[in-house]
Amino acid sequence: MESLRDIRQNIKAIKSTQQIMQTMKMISSARIRKAQESMDNARPFATKMLEMVADLKEEVLAQTDTESEIESGASRFLLNKTGNPNKIGLVVITGDKGLAGSFNAVILRAAVAFLKKHQDKEVFVFCIGKKGRDFINRFHKKNIQIVYSSIGIFPKVTYAHAELLGEAILKEYFERNLGSVTLIYNDFKSRGSQQLREASILPFNALPTVHDKTDDTEFLFEPGVQEIFRILVPRLMKANMYRVLLESQAANLAATMNAMDAASKNAGELVQTLGVKLNKVRQAGITNEILDIVNGAEALNG
Amino acid sequence: MSKTFTLNLITPQRQILQDLPVESIVLPALSGEMGVLAGHIPMVVQLGLGSLRYKQEGIEKEFAVMGGFAEIMHTTVNVFAEGADLAEEIDEEEEKQKIKRAKESLSRKDADIDFELAELEIKQSLARMKVKKRHLN
Repeated sequence: MESLRDIRQNIKAIKSTQQIMQTMKMISSARIRKAQESMDNARPFATKMLEMVADLKEEVLAQTDTESEIESGASRFLLNKTGNPNKIGLVVITGDKGLAGSFNAVILRAAVAFLKKHQDKEVFVFCIGKKGRDFINRFHKKNIQIVYSSIGIFPKVTYAHAELLGEAILKEYFERNLGSVTLIYNDFKSRGSQQLREASILPFNALPTVHDKTDDTEFLFEPGVQEIFRILVPRLMKANMYRVLLESQAANLAATMNAMDAASKNAGELVQTLGVKLNKVRQAGITNEILDIVNGAEALNG
Repeated sequence: MSKTFTLNLITPQRQILQDLPVESIVLPALSGEMGVLAGHIPMVVQLGLGSLRYKQEGIEKEFAVMGGFAEIMHTTVNVFAEGADLAEEIDEEEEKQKIKRAKESLSRKDADIDFELAELEIKQSLARMKVKKRHLN
């Protein structure tokens, strides 16, 4: 049987852990408001720009005439006929720390599934967040290679981080002649829930057409369509990465908040059951003592 | 009352104008300023550094825009700008300070200075000041 002292110590330890968890929860909930705000502010730029590229892609392809333009120009972003289908990119965005429930586990599970599916291909991985990098590092497989990693950017994501990531992705895409780039991250749905997303980000031909273009209006381009796309696509890439990073950041904070909330509730329950146990043990001790005294007295009388 | 169309002005950080009904817009296209009225032919234009002006119920408002793109459609114009500041809110003194600092860091010739960034900052500040001056006149 545990002694009174052991139980008291146990309760104390749990209570101090609970306090840490409560503090972490409060920190997350204070940060989440700001994270949510910057996320909401950044959303329109990326989504509207994606809509524009989706709307224009048909036109760009129609206006791309020569073979050389197809190979070198804007349409590489869109169609990528020349990309090597056996070389693909994967962007994994996780948090730097655990303590966020299933936040990282969900992403890493999806990443494993992706890598299994493409195990006969060369995969070049872009890692944001320590958890993802460490996890991928442990694979030790020849066909998996980390080409870019960035750690410790949460919870202070800026546009500069997105620019670095976007540039790295585009650079590898062209230099290694990747066939496609896929992104795995958690989308912020609400403070209560996140949604795992797996999206193809390059080339753009996977983009859904947003507006129904029944009036088939033709767009003019000033300057030329190739020049515009050459500048527009990197910007879109960065804006989109910015949005994704902010989404992950907010989702991560929300997950931390919920996980810590649940954990400190559990700790509270544990403290309660231990308290009951403590009382029982103490009562048992007292009963034993009384029995001892009574027995002793009776022995004297007898 | 002339015909109106809607204007969206968006930067990576935030949406500045949303579905604003306007009568006319002047955009800082790369090849010179460009006016847009309702029913303009659909177009995608690359923007340089310069002034973006629009009229809403006869009142003109002006922004300093730091490059980007404009998507002109039949009833809507979307402006994707790298940065946009309301002309009235530009502080000339502050811009001068920024230019001074950037020039100083350029003249120091340290290896770890991002020359392109410093030059871009100077260009942007100059453009903002130009817009401010234009706006005051």
